[in-house]
Amino acid sequence: MNHDLGRLPAIFKRYPKSPESLIAVLQDIQKEYQFLPSEALAETARVLEVPLSKVFSVSTFYNAFSLHPKGEKVIRICVGTTCHIRGAKQIQEQLESQLKIKAGETTPDLKFSIETVSCVGACAKAPVVIVNEKYHGPVKVSDYKKLVKGK
Amino acid sequence: MVSLTINGRIVKAKDGEMLLAVLRREKIDVPAMCHHAAVEPFGACRLCVVEITRAEWKGWCDYVTSCLYPVSPGLIVNTHSDKVNELRRTILDLFLARHPDCPEIAELAGEYGVFKTTYETVVGGNNCILCGLCTRICDRMGFTAISTVGRGHGKEVAPPLRQAPPDCVGCLACAENCPTKFIEYKLRKKRVTIWEREFELLTCTKCGKTTITKDFAEYLSRHRAIDAGYFEICDECRRKNLAVSMGEIVNWERELLT
Repeated sequence: MNHDLGRLPAIFKRYPKSPESLIAVLQDIQKEYQFLPSEALAETARVLEVPLSKVFSVSTFYNAFSLHPKGEKVIRICVGTTCHIRGAKQIQEQLESQLKIKAGETTPDLKFSIETVSCVGACAKAPVVIVNEKYHGPVKVSDYKKLVKGK
Repeated sequence: MVSLTINGRIVKAKDGEMLLAVLRREKIDVPAMCHHAAVEPFGACRLCVVEITRAEWKGWCDYVTSCLYPVSPGLIVNTHSDKVNELRRTILDLFLARHPDCPEIAELAGEYGVFKTTYETVVGGNNCILCGLCTRICDRMGFTAISTVGRGHGKEVAPPLRQAPPDCVGCLACAENCPTKFIEYKLRKKRVTIWEREFELLTCTKCGKTTITKDFAEYLSRHRAIDAGYFEICDECRRKNLAVSMGEIVNWERELLT
């Protein structure tokens, strides 16, 4: 898969060229591309002078990084204790069956991704669903259309 | 120098030296799977656990991984107390549950009287104990071709992107030092395959036996100031050749002196 690597130099410019910048650079790449393209990992290793295997090790360690393209809309379902008690499981099942993907997967048309997260600190609004950066709660099972279609 | 007591015997050691190093020097048999003299102690396998105490602790004792514990004056160590043996049995019991088909673990567990795990056996696992010795050695040698990938249950040792590692030179140090022989390599006549990468082996110009990989020889001559010609003959032929080269040196010295 070929990706436009033109946006990378601007990211590298923001941080000193040293191994300490690795996580910051990967975070910015994740933000820019919604995932970490393998070519970008190789380029990061070259620029920061970090062995490629170390870059790969770090990018697979943190859940915040993804090596696979994410959907346009990333739906994060909180399954922390409070949300769990208030029915997060049912919301997850509803969204999974409607979008025909499991949590952690992306629809083939790259429109949606479903993820589960453990507590986002918004327990008062449980159960919480986060669509891209927007927090929704308390969410009902019947709200799935709103979540999927709304902006 | 400091003195400490190990199993009732007074032993001298350097202050701050790691306890396992002292135990090894004193020929006291303490098991360890993740330890290697070439790399920093890591404390992954937990098998080198020992009991420590001091006179002023009034009977209290502590259990520490000896590979990571620096010695100090007055330390009292027991390497095979009932409690230590019990701790090791528990660790081996867990190892046995995770790696039921590993002969190295079965042997060590057998020595401690653990023949069958008391835990639920893991199905579909492998023999990697995730001690990270291979990755640490690869790092130490300056390649960093492999690393640990993922974390928690999904953690494994793998090359970057799970593809043939570009930085590997086929030195085989990872495989040869793996405590459970999990890392495989295939040796064919003049080729060796490891991490799904095939390397060409150099052959001795005198006897035709294979020596090290071409990539490794190139790396050593480029980065470690070892002449590439050094690898043209194998160690055996070099020893055979010593008579010739030493004779030449002796002659040369005589000429200089006369």
